[in-house]
Order: sequence, then C-alpha cells, then structure tokens
Amino acid sequence: MKSIRFDALLRVLVLGLPLLLVAILILGPLGIMVAVSFWKKTGFAMVPDVTWHAYATFLSGVRIEVFWRSLWVAVSSTVLMLLIAYPLAYIVAKKVRPTLVGVTLFLFSVPFLVNFIIRTFSWSDILGRSGFVNSALMGLGLTDAPLDWLLYSDFAVYLGLVTAYMPFMIFPIWLSLSGTDKRYEQASWVLGEGRLMTFWRVTLPLSLPGVFAAAIFGFVGAFGEFAVSVILGGTGYQLLGNSIISSLNVINYPLASAMSTFAVLVMLILLVAWFFFFDLRLFLGKIMGRQ
Amino acid sequence: MTVPAPTSAQRAANGLVWGFVALVLVFLYAPMVPPVLRSFAGASVENGGLFASYRAIFDDPLLIGGIWNTVMIGAIVAVVTPVLALAIAQALREWQKPRLILGLVLLPLFVPGVSMGVAMAVFFKVLGVEPSLLTMSVVQILWALPFATLVIMTVMASFDETYLEAAYVLGSNRFAAFWKVELPCIRQGLFGAAAFSLILSFNETIRTSIVQGGRNTVQTYLWSQYQQVGLSPALYALMTLLIVATLALMAGIVVVTRRRQLP
Repeated sequence: MKSIRFDALLRVLVLGLPLLLVAILILGPLGIMVAVSFWKKTGFAMVPDVTWHAYATFLSGVRIEVFWRSLWVAVSSTVLMLLIAYPLAYIVAKKVRPTLVGVTLFLFSVPFLVNFIIRTFSWSDILGRSGFVNSALMGLGLTDAPLDWLLYSDFAVYLGLVTAYMPFMIFPIWLSLSGTDKRYEQASWVLGEGRLMTFWRVTLPLSLPGVFAAAIFGFVGAFGEFAVSVILGGTGYQLLGNSIISSLNVINYPLASAMSTFAVLVMLILLVAWFFFFDLRLFLGKIMGRQ
Repeated sequence: MTVPAPTSAQRAANGLVWGFVALVLVFLYAPMVPPVLRSFAGASVENGGLFASYRAIFDDPLLIGGIWNTVMIGAIVAVVTPVLALAIAQALREWQKPRLILGLVLLPLFVPGVSMGVAMAVFFKVLGVEPSLLTMSVVQILWALPFATLVIMTVMASFDETYLEAAYVLGSNRFAAFWKVELPCIRQGLFGAAAFSLILSFNETIRTSIVQGGRNTVQTYLWSQYQQVGLSPALYALMTLLIVATLALMAGIVVVTRRRQLP
C-alpha cells in the first residue's frame, strides 16, 4: 500500500514541478511587471510605490498618438491578414489532397521560422529606390522614375506585417476548418442551400474559433510591433513596441512596464473573450486526440 | 464512379486558386533571397574571393562571441524545452485540465515580444538576477515552449493508450511503462520539438535583446548593428548562414518524420 502512495506522490512531483516552474516563470514576470508599472522612477533607479505616474506619462503627449496608431494598424492589418489566411486555410483544408496537406502546411511554415527581422531587412532591399521591384518596373518601361511609395510608407509596413504574422494564422483556421464534421455541410446541401449560402451559414460560423485565435495572434503581433515600423516605416514611424523600447533606452522601467501592461491587458481581454465564446476542447480535439 | 471532365469555368477557378497559393508563397519566400545576393555582391579576386564577406565574420571578435553565445543558448533551449514540454503534455493527459494548463503554456505566444521582454527584465531585476546566458535561455525557452508542447501533443495523440494499459496489466509500473512503451513511440516528437526549439532560439531577437545585458547573440548583434551603423557585407553573410541553418534544420525534421511514416 505504501509503495502505491509513494508512486502517486512521485508522479505528482514529476508532472507537477515542471508545470509549477513554468507557471512561476510566466505569471511571475507578468505580475511583477504590473506591479512595477505603479512604481516611481527616481533617477536611474525605481522605488516601490502606488502611483499612476507612469500611466499618466503614457496617456499624455506623443505616446498616446503612438498607441492610437498602433491600434489602428493592428486592427486593419489583422483584417487584411485574415482575408489572406482564411482562403489559404480553406484551400489546404478542402482542396489540397490529404496526402499533400502536411507538405503544404510545411511550405507555409518555413518562412515563418526564418527570423522576421532578417526578412524585414530583405523587404527594404527589394522595395528600395534601387531595389528589385523598381529596377524591374523601370527596365520594363512601366515607370520612368523609381516609385517612392514602395518603401518607408504604410504600404511597406503592411506588407512587412502581413508576411511576418500571416503564415502562422493559417494553422488555427485550418485546425478548425478540418476539425468540423463534413456532414453539416452535406446536410445543408441536401436541404437545398447553395454552396455560397452553405459556406456563409455553416462552414464560416463553425470555423470562427480558429479565425478568432488567428486574429488574436496577428493583432497582438502587429500591436506590439517594433522592427517592421523602424525598417520599413522610416524615421518617425513608431508603433507601441518602439515606444516601449525608447522608454527602456532611458531606463524608465515603470513607463515601459505601464505600456507593456496595457498591451498585455488588451491581449487578455481578447483571450478571455475567446475562452468565453468558444469551446477549447472542440478546437483542440485534433491535437489532443480522443478525450 | 467516373469523375466528369472539368468544365472550362472550373478549370479557370482552379487556376485562380493555385495561382493565389503560388503568389502568396512567392511573397513569403522572396525575402530569403536578398541576403544571399548581398553576401556575394562585389566579390572579386582582388577583394579576397567569393567568400570574402564570410571570412570577414571572423575578423569581428564581438561577432565571434555572439556566435558562441547563440550556440550555447541554442543547445540549452533545445535540450530543456522538449523535456519541459513532455512533462506538460503528460500532465495534461493525466489531469484533464486542458483549458488551464494549455492556457498557461500558450500564453507567451499571445504576449507581444517586447512586452514579454520587459516583463522578464523587470522580473530578473527585482529578484536581483544578473543578466547571463541562463536568463537569455529562460526567455527563449518560454518562447519555444508553446510550439514544442503542441508538437509533442500532436505526436502523443497518435499514440494508443491501450498499450500503456497492457503494460500495467503485465505488471509494469508507471515509469517503466512510459520509458519502455510510450517513449519509443513518441521519440520522433521529442526530436521534432528539439529541432523546433533550436530554430526558434536561433531566430529570436527582441525578447533576448531586452534581457541580455552586455552579451549578444548573433540575432541581437544584427539588430543593434542595424540601428547603430547599418548592415555590412559580413552581416549579410551571417544572415545567409542563419537562413541556411534554419532550412537545414527544417530539412532534418522532414527526414526524421518521413522515417517514422515508412515502416
């Protein structure tokens, strides 16, 4: 009897300790960051306090403009990314032969894994005044002078954001599209709905958990972006990530924490909404296997 | 059942679909080309041959240190992350609390990189932990963990748990059943998770750069050089090497998983 109890205790320790460690290392920093956002900055140090000073600095002056711009860029680029990622996920789930699905997803994931800062450097190379696109356009005689709006523009920033975050958004959408029961669609066809209405009223609603997960991922990435804005947006183009880094550069940890807390809060609200509206088990059934 | 020949409208629609996929892939893969071209640009016999910019990497002691740090951290991340991920995936199956456990592990995926870096930096600062290779590794492990956990969960889902019950019936204890029955079946998943973690470690910049203190990895060195003095041919050579290393690791994953599928 004793050995069985010891066995059970050991199992709790072996499985529980790593989980506890991870919980401390994830929640601890986030919790301390929230606390530090209420601290006071004194010279190059900070002292524990309960003050809204950092938030007041954030919410007044230029930083709030950066916040609004980040919000707008994040929302609009997420919509753009969904419009590209959803058809791709749909094609992988419904059109690609089952034996080729793995290969196709692999092809989409390879670029995602190459450092996105390197990929962003490359876009500034490709889109620059003497870059590939302008050379090709002028070589073909389509334009006389290099196009200026290709680089250091909204266009370049959106292109950078889409290629940075869109590939990963295909996966959750594909998961929920391929996880739904085909018979729902067939039933809709049998009952006389056309393909378009079936998609609109059956397929799309059933895939919303994946769409929402993808949207959160893309939104959070674009919202806290720092590299795309510097490399492709040009001087002065700041997003929330740049604003946070600039406050770190002057060693203002409370301000950096306040802005980061804000970003994490927005993300948490979205995640809680996701948990609230959708059943995680349904969505993850494919990964977790039988329950 | 005979499949009717596609009409021209269907063929056009199909062409549109695959054209769209091809176009997106072109956009995704195009950024891998310029660093390669740049690293060989201006190469001539007088300038030291084709690989001059690659040799220039070794003239920069800071960069050598960065490469060394990158390799060390990569090794730590590639070993620790799969083990942690395996423990978490096992706990998930054991305790059946997917919302809580997965929600926790996947959280870093949804926190903006800069914010996660700030959180880790103040965490270490308040606790009085000096920046070191270890703190840099911790940050990268947390970033790689969601991916590694998902990889291992996928492989574990294809493992039939009745084998474990068979082992228990035959008198095996939990650990022996896991070690001798389940582990050999999910080994490829562990390798996949390790390779994935290594790739993510090699390609992580912003979280690491916020907690690194005085040290550099290849990636954070690239980023700080870009901001301070701009990119040199040697840095383009380095980017090319990073892209090649990432592609080689991905190819390695393909070879390993292929072997699993073939009996």
